[in-house]
Amino acid sequence: MKLLPTLTSLAIWALLPSASLVAQQPGASSAPAPAAPKEEDAFSPSAHVMVFGDATYLATDRAIPSGFLIGQTVGHLIASLTERLAYFGEVTASSSSSGYSVEVERSILRYDVVDALKISGGRYHTPVGFWNTNYHHGTWLQTTVARPEMVKYGSQFIPTHFVGAMAEGTLPAGDLGVGYIVGVGNGRGATISRAGDAGDANSNRAWTAAVSVRPATMFGLQAGAGYYSDRLSTPAPTAVTAKEDITSGYVAWQRERPEFIAEYALVRHTPELGGAATSNHGYYVQLGYRLPGDASAWKPYVRTEEVVTSPTDAIFAPLALGYRGTLGGLRYDFAPYAALKLEYRREQFQGKEWSNGVYLNASFTIPGLGSGEGNPMGHI
Amino acid sequence: MHTHPTLIRAALGARTLTLNASRRAGRVLAGMLLALATLTAARPAGAQAKNTGAIAIVVHPEVQVSNLSFAELRRIFLGEQQYWSDRSKVTLLVRAPTAYERSMVLDRIYKMDEDRFRQYWIGKMFRAEVAAGPKIVYSSDMALNLISSIRGSITFVPVSAVTPDVKVLRIDGKLPGEAGYPLQ
Repeated sequence: MKLLPTLTSLAIWALLPSASLVAQQPGASSAPAPAAPKEEDAFSPSAHVMVFGDATYLATDRAIPSGFLIGQTVGHLIASLTERLAYFGEVTASSSSSGYSVEVERSILRYDVVDALKISGGRYHTPVGFWNTNYHHGTWLQTTVARPEMVKYGSQFIPTHFVGAMAEGTLPAGDLGVGYIVGVGNGRGATISRAGDAGDANSNRAWTAAVSVRPATMFGLQAGAGYYSDRLSTPAPTAVTAKEDITSGYVAWQRERPEFIAEYALVRHTPELGGAATSNHGYYVQLGYRLPGDASAWKPYVRTEEVVTSPTDAIFAPLALGYRGTLGGLRYDFAPYAALKLEYRREQFQGKEWSNGVYLNASFTIPGLGSGEGNPMGHI
Repeated sequence: MHTHPTLIRAALGARTLTLNASRRAGRVLAGMLLALATLTAARPAGAQAKNTGAIAIVVHPEVQVSNLSFAELRRIFLGEQQYWSDRSKVTLLVRAPTAYERSMVLDRIYKMDEDRFRQYWIGKMFRAEVAAGPKIVYSSDMALNLISSIRGSITFVPVSAVTPDVKVLRIDGKLPGEAGYPLQ
């Protein structure tokens, strides 16, 4: 199993900066007194590793494997290289019938100029909508057991990953809390569920732009809208080339009493060799409520969602992405960094018969492995 | 220092019972209970619970700010504003759990309990929005020492602990003790 070596390597890597720093400390030699250190010289690099994991017991009448399932094990590395330069990495190990597959989900090097301008490059979760850039692969962070179908792991409906460069920041707009992000990158690969990690599938780069607001007067509210544009080139036998435009929007209220998240995405494909443009829709609405007082460890929730694809869409129609589903569940935070979730789902895939499933999921995070100050896990 | 009456009664009761069986064992048990009662009375939680004074928002003396709106203060404490207007980095210092002033800041500024506060910063780091969480301090003295030595740092301490070598910020134009100050 490759999981343990991977995580161990991450932890060792996280500890290396402090070790190398110790080696570089000026010793008690009789060298001349150095000049006053610059601010950059006084900076102490730090690195932290977080681990997320989960396991699920599944009982369903769908024709899929049921029983005990190991979810994704996630290692997240954060390293401050200078006061303004930081690295963020996220690696997952996912179980399958043939073993574990390891994937680099995010690998981002970012330089903060000011709050209004932070420049980065690497592999991201595409800033389309809310869920994809808020919960990433941290199952413990999200209220429910699984992600909505439109942004599920390996989603073909929206491009969940983006390889390229981004500029982001918060704008001085008073109490409105306006944030923006713009990026250019490879877009989808030839297999449309994958990003173009080793180069774009065609000579046309993808670009994306999104804005969000977090008004100070409505603390807990976040709303945003985004646009994504790319040119898709699928391999034979479909061999379609089409322009893809994604328009998305969301509203999220995250104060937990209640929690409300609603997200919508419109994916339009325009074939370049003729044919009508097609529209495909995905949305979900999720509502949760953390109980008050002594019952605050408990959080009931519900979600309804739908993915509707056009039967004439040259790219989506062969993939049978249609989905309707409703779920209800109860989350129990039995420890500060661990939760149990019991969830019932009623789902319909691509117009087939409705299915029912019960999921019992345990998720956790190990929030503080690493060096340097600023570790919120072991101390906060 | 006061010993909790219930624990004293428990200690004396235990001592009476054990005398009937074994004077020596009883003395040991009573001694342990009295020590426990003494330790319990010496815990800081009781003293902190009685501390209900205002807290001051203090910064490094070179920070080019003397007044913040409450919304700006919240953005800084939430890690949404990470740089001062002179482009120096904001370094947020937060008291460790059980301190009265931490409870007030979580309640008034973050509007979160301890669990949600931890979850907030874990999520913030996981989303790559910050490279590090707040630095944790274990006393007002430690907070003030770090404030005076780390450029761009900001924290909160009881007003009674403020020293002359740090700068106290006005919040919405008010200083601690003035009517309308939001952290008292």
